[in-house]
Amino acid sequence: MENSSMYIISVYSENQVGLLSSISNIFTRRGINIESLTVFPSEFPGIHHFTFRAITTERAAQQVVGFIEKKVEVVRAFCFPDNATSAAEHGILADYLKNRNQ
Amino acid sequence: MTGAEILLESLLAEGVDTVFGYPGGSIITVYDKMYSYADRLRHILVRHEQGAIHAAQGYARATGRPGVVIVTSGPGATNVITGVADAMVDSTPVIVIAGQVGNALLGTDAFQETDVVGMTGPIDKWTFQIRRPEDVATAVAKAFHIASTGRPGPVVLDFTRDAQVGIADFDYQPCRHIRSYALPAPADEAAIEAAAQLIDDAERPFVVFGQGVLLSHAEDQLKAFLKKGGIPAASTMLGLSALPSDFPYYVGMAGMHGNIAANLMTQKCDVLIAVGMRFDDRVTGNPSTYARQAKVIHIDVDRTEIGKIIPAEVGILGDAAEVLGRLTERIRFSFHDEWAASARRYECVEQEKVCVPETAPAGGPVNMGEVVARVSELSGRDAIIVTDVGQNQLMGARYSRFARTRSFISSGGLGTMGFGLPAAIGAKTGAPDRQVVLFVGDGGIQMTLQEFGTIMQEGTAVKVVLLNNNWLGNVRQWQELFYGARYSQTRLLNPDFSLIAQAFGIRYRCVEERAELEDALREMLDSPQAYLLDVHVREEGMVYPMVPGGRRMDEILLNKDEWYRDGE
Repeated sequence: MENSSMYIISVYSENQVGLLSSISNIFTRRGINIESLTVFPSEFPGIHHFTFRAITTERAAQQVVGFIEKKVEVVRAFCFPDNATSAAEHGILADYLKNRNQ
Repeated sequence: MTGAEILLESLLAEGVDTVFGYPGGSIITVYDKMYSYADRLRHILVRHEQGAIHAAQGYARATGRPGVVIVTSGPGATNVITGVADAMVDSTPVIVIAGQVGNALLGTDAFQETDVVGMTGPIDKWTFQIRRPEDVATAVAKAFHIASTGRPGPVVLDFTRDAQVGIADFDYQPCRHIRSYALPAPADEAAIEAAAQLIDDAERPFVVFGQGVLLSHAEDQLKAFLKKGGIPAASTMLGLSALPSDFPYYVGMAGMHGNIAANLMTQKCDVLIAVGMRFDDRVTGNPSTYARQAKVIHIDVDRTEIGKIIPAEVGILGDAAEVLGRLTERIRFSFHDEWAASARRYECVEQEKVCVPETAPAGGPVNMGEVVARVSELSGRDAIIVTDVGQNQLMGARYSRFARTRSFISSGGLGTMGFGLPAAIGAKTGAPDRQVVLFVGDGGIQMTLQEFGTIMQEGTAVKVVLLNNNWLGNVRQWQELFYGARYSQTRLLNPDFSLIAQAFGIRYRCVEERAELEDALREMLDSPQAYLLDVHVREEGMVYPMVPGGRRMDEILLNKDEWYRDGE
């Protein structure tokens, strides 16, 4: 078995009623407990930023990210170990939105 | 224009000519407006909302176009939930429009109010609550776009009364772009190149394809790919009919009750090319023992499927038609004659040990597989075969032969008993020029039996073959094999199906002896109207071969006492 550790799952989405519950269901269905959750407007206009912290395996975290990204209103999702930080995601997202907004 | 009219105009703008539904208090405005659209929009009145959604699924699977369902709030919406989950796992484009109470009553436990958004979110591709009439057209446009693109799936529109009765301008613009929803991009060149290299270097390449081939209309690309690479191929249950049954490289169906050749070749190939399939556990058995010797190339339009169950050496994210087309250009002409011919050896064993005893028994009661095989012959392999779930489904899948694509409709991932009868109604509605034959058991038919009323009212000419053994046969089979023959709650006392058919004005015949079977089947197939053929089949009938759950795919039971041994 893979080791479990704390992961941060970072989600950027359109603002949509019901989306938070839909995303949290993706954790629930896999028996993953959400340790903490924050929701706030991102620096990108109209895009909300959720961060979830959860203890899980890397494989499960990657799967959760895949299923979250399948939600129509989700723009991008990322996961990384809690001890790392990702500045790269902002760059990726900025590029993505630049392309999609055209 | 009212929101209700905008809904109907939007459906017409999307080319919809048929909807399946059931009226009720929170959708009555839409039904009122529909009264004036009867010449442009056919409404099939089902007898239970579950029937509406399964019919829409059957319609979508037969036609390739989204099925549309209109139901009321509360119980109307909850009654379609099973079908929504079924359409999700089987990638079926369905659009459900559910009435909802007025905006001011949301969240108040009003009459027939329920949290549709909360309930359907986890089991559909997209849910949206329409609260304003000016949002109706854009919501419908997005619904069609989302349901039918990428990996298709069900969409639920929760349509409040305010949005139905309110007034807005109608201006329909089809949806082509959603900022947060990317359509499949051309597949990655490096992945195609890596896959082509693996295939060129392979000695024993093998393809397992699924419904993705049908969904992406990649049948021709698959044939060209197999021919150029000289690669044998197996289908999953939902991939059936994407290749004609007599296609030279086709070795049959993979999975728990699949063909021996398909399963053994999975366990012997050196490169496994999975196309538009998702490695369901009914296909893989114990996944940690599945094709461990092979390098896996997984082609799928859904990123989450790649590597989800079986690790992929090369994952190719993309549309099957596009990827197969590009791969075919890239690979060398190859022959793997000895490898491909090894299928014949396994087929011989299966014929002798399983198929001949099932389809051409020396005597005794009629067998389920025998009925399916005769239907296939007598219908010239041209019918759309619909099945319910259980032994009827496995026999229907095993012994039907196909000449045309989109000819097999079954509830795969969810395994919904009761799916068959309404799905057959939907398939016949969508493909009225084709013969539609349903195989259903005596258990499953009683789960949605009320839809005979729909058949009666609409004159839908579906041919229902009831494989009647007075058991919940598939569970009974497991009880016999794995639970010490303790037949807990699987024996059925059935109604007199002749009286049921009579009550619904449906032609009926009962077959108890083998000698009557062919004549009865001909009469049924020739009938211009619906027909219920009640075939009393062997009560203890079993579906073999069988890879028991959790086993390796080459651990195959040929009958109750005999395992397949390779090399004999």
